[in-house]
Amino acid sequence: MAFTATLETVSEATSKIILSGELDASTAPTFKAEVEKAAGTPMKRLVLDLRNLEYMASAGLRVLIYAKQKIGADTDLYVVSPQEPVLHTLTVTGFDQSVFIVPSEADIPA
Amino acid sequence: MESLSVPGNLDSLGAIADFVKTAAAAAGLDKKATYKLRLAVDEVATNIIVHGYEESGLEGHLQILAELDDKTLTIVVEDIGAAYDPLQHMLPEDEHLKQPLEQRQMGGLGIYLVLQGVDKFIYERQRDRNLNTFVMNRPTTAEP
Repeated sequence: MAFTATLETVSEATSKIILSGELDASTAPTFKAEVEKAAGTPMKRLVLDLRNLEYMASAGLRVLIYAKQKIGADTDLYVVSPQEPVLHTLTVTGFDQSVFIVPSEADIPA
Repeated sequence: MESLSVPGNLDSLGAIADFVKTAAAAAGLDKKATYKLRLAVDEVATNIIVHGYEESGLEGHLQILAELDDKTLTIVVEDIGAAYDPLQHMLPEDEHLKQPLEQRQMGGLGIYLVLQGVDKFIYERQRDRNLNTFVMNRPTTAEP
């Protein structure tokens, strides 16, 4: 399944990366490149839209760690609408303690 | 017994995933168990490719075998890299998993997901090969 990561600037305070397909070690560099692009601009929050992400290996978790370290502790990381198995991976690894997992973008403060 | 041989590079992960999904379907595993098994095999195959082959400047293949019996589906991943027991490497402890991401180390998450996902994981070194074995219990026929 093809993987895509698309960066969008939602507002001055918010950037969004939309992920779809399968995120493994072969596709993680694409995601990491978008995180680097996003981190070039100061923001209050980085939103990751995961609703169409069907699979995520630990290579994806490593990019999340990288993102959090790159954008700084003051920037909030939001994960929107992860599919059940991806949510399970985020939960068993404790990532749900460091990122805000929300059911939809409406749950993100403006 | 089904088998697959792929070159030891990251482009092979897709073919490995397809092979595991096909074996899981033949074994009657549900969607959740299939995902977990695919994830476990993917994590170990990634380690072999990145550490066993690419970082060591070694070219080799991964041999994947699937064996089905009445009760279990067994997947074996073989490689010719240096001896590497994933279980001998640091597993994150509970404390570690509670740390905020900005303080996290990168290592150990993959093998943690392997052990979370399969019913049994075994590592063996046989002559010049690493054998990583994943066992999933097949669903029993539901009681009426």
